[in-house]
Amino acid sequence: MLRNALRKDLLLNARHLWGIVPWFLWVAYAMTEPEAGRITAVGAAFIGSLMATTIGAREDKLRTTATLASLPVSRGTLVEARYLVAYIVGAATYLIVVMAAGLPWSVQRAAELCELKTLLLTLTLASAAIAVLMPVVIRFGLLGVLVFLGVFQLLGVGLMVAFEFFGSRSSVGVFSAIERGIAALHAGLEQPVVILETLAIVGLAIWLSFRLSVFLAKRRDL
Amino acid sequence: MDPILELRGVTKHYQGFALRDVSFSLPRGYVCGLIGPNGAGKTTIVKMILGLVRPEGGEVRVCGDDPVYAERAVKDRIGFVHEVPAYYGHLRMGSIASIVRPFYRRWDQPLFEALVREFEIPTNTWFDSLSRGTRTKAALALALAHHADLLVLDEPTAGLDPVFRRSLLERLSAYVEDGHASVLFSTHLTSDLERMADYITFIRDGRVMFSSTREQVFDRWFIVKGDPRLLDDSIRQALAGVDVGPHAFTGLTSDPAAIRRRLAGRDAVVEAATLDDIMYYVGRSC
Repeated sequence: MLRNALRKDLLLNARHLWGIVPWFLWVAYAMTEPEAGRITAVGAAFIGSLMATTIGAREDKLRTTATLASLPVSRGTLVEARYLVAYIVGAATYLIVVMAAGLPWSVQRAAELCELKTLLLTLTLASAAIAVLMPVVIRFGLLGVLVFLGVFQLLGVGLMVAFEFFGSRSSVGVFSAIERGIAALHAGLEQPVVILETLAIVGLAIWLSFRLSVFLAKRRDL
Repeated sequence: MDPILELRGVTKHYQGFALRDVSFSLPRGYVCGLIGPNGAGKTTIVKMILGLVRPEGGEVRVCGDDPVYAERAVKDRIGFVHEVPAYYGHLRMGSIASIVRPFYRRWDQPLFEALVREFEIPTNTWFDSLSRGTRTKAALALALAHHADLLVLDEPTAGLDPVFRRSLLERLSAYVEDGHASVLFSTHLTSDLERMADYITFIRDGRVMFSSTREQVFDRWFIVKGDPRLLDDSIRQALAGVDVGPHAFTGLTSDPAAIRRRLAGRDAVVEAATLDDIMYYVGRSC
């Protein structure tokens, strides 16, 4: 049944996932920039996962949620398929960037993009996006995504304003700190202990997110 | 008789609307019409049967199973048509069927193809480009193609032309003939049910007003028409609802013998009621 649900999501959303294609024109260009390889690969997987996570929101918009939930498949399996699709699309977009490194004008090395620490960082960031957004999509659909992104945006603006006017540090410093944190995690992912800790945290976050999504999906009236 | 569908004391509350103590059952081999005005709760009941809405109280059983806890097994036995059939609009009929097909254990592809031909559903047109009636036909073809034990149809005749509507009703009657399958047919177009329903369940404002066989319904309720000057208190009390015009009154009664006795030899008639009459007057009397 999971295979059927997975196939359903991929077939139903294939057309929407083509929306990523124009972004890859930029990927092709980014291959000419010496420092852009890793961030492009990580960003591609992150955005791909994020787009696939919003499949549920599109189903709400097209009013197909009730129809699909009327098929003989458990809601738990439908949720499971959504998580898998998000990871598959994230992996596929990452792979495309790796393949783009082979373009004639590319200055990137595919082997560098396939380093374990970069793969793990991508997995961590994509998993964080999926883990946070999926329960919101499952419970609130399109409206939930819009509200979530809106609140996130407002939170960012609010933080910037607060730091500018009341903080001892500039908000630019805060965002730099986030960037440094990601870079530090990337560097640390060469050590076995950090790798194990990161995998454990990612696994726990995704498991909790999945259980919450199934719980919410089963209680949602369609 | 072994009920294929059973609702016992089902309740559900929404803001401004509630289903209260909804109980009725449908034996194997019969057609049940779920009638009621718009907003009565028919679609909520249909959704509960499909496990899309969870009841707050009471029980829903399909072939003895709870649709919420045995969702896969229950939905495998149900063929459904939602009030507004919604599939992905950018897909053609063949693609939609290829998505739906693997989920059903008893999917019958030759039957599906025969239904598509018979219903004249265009296979090369985007689902969004189909008319409302053709979308319903498409949903019906999908519902009928997997030998469901229970067909749950929510307003399936809305948007259909009279010719197809009649042939659909005949098909549904034939569907239950072997005594194994049943049909739950939710509609506010009661004329459809007068032809083919074995059981009628009338729901209004979230309550079941009555649920019985078609014969019991038509044996119970009668229309009374007469001169408005005949309408005294005792006659009014015997009527479940009454309309009074300048030249005549029309009412519904469940006690035709008493009315006939009181109005014998006077300017009044007692005649068979239609489901429309029953829905109208019983609804008004509440």
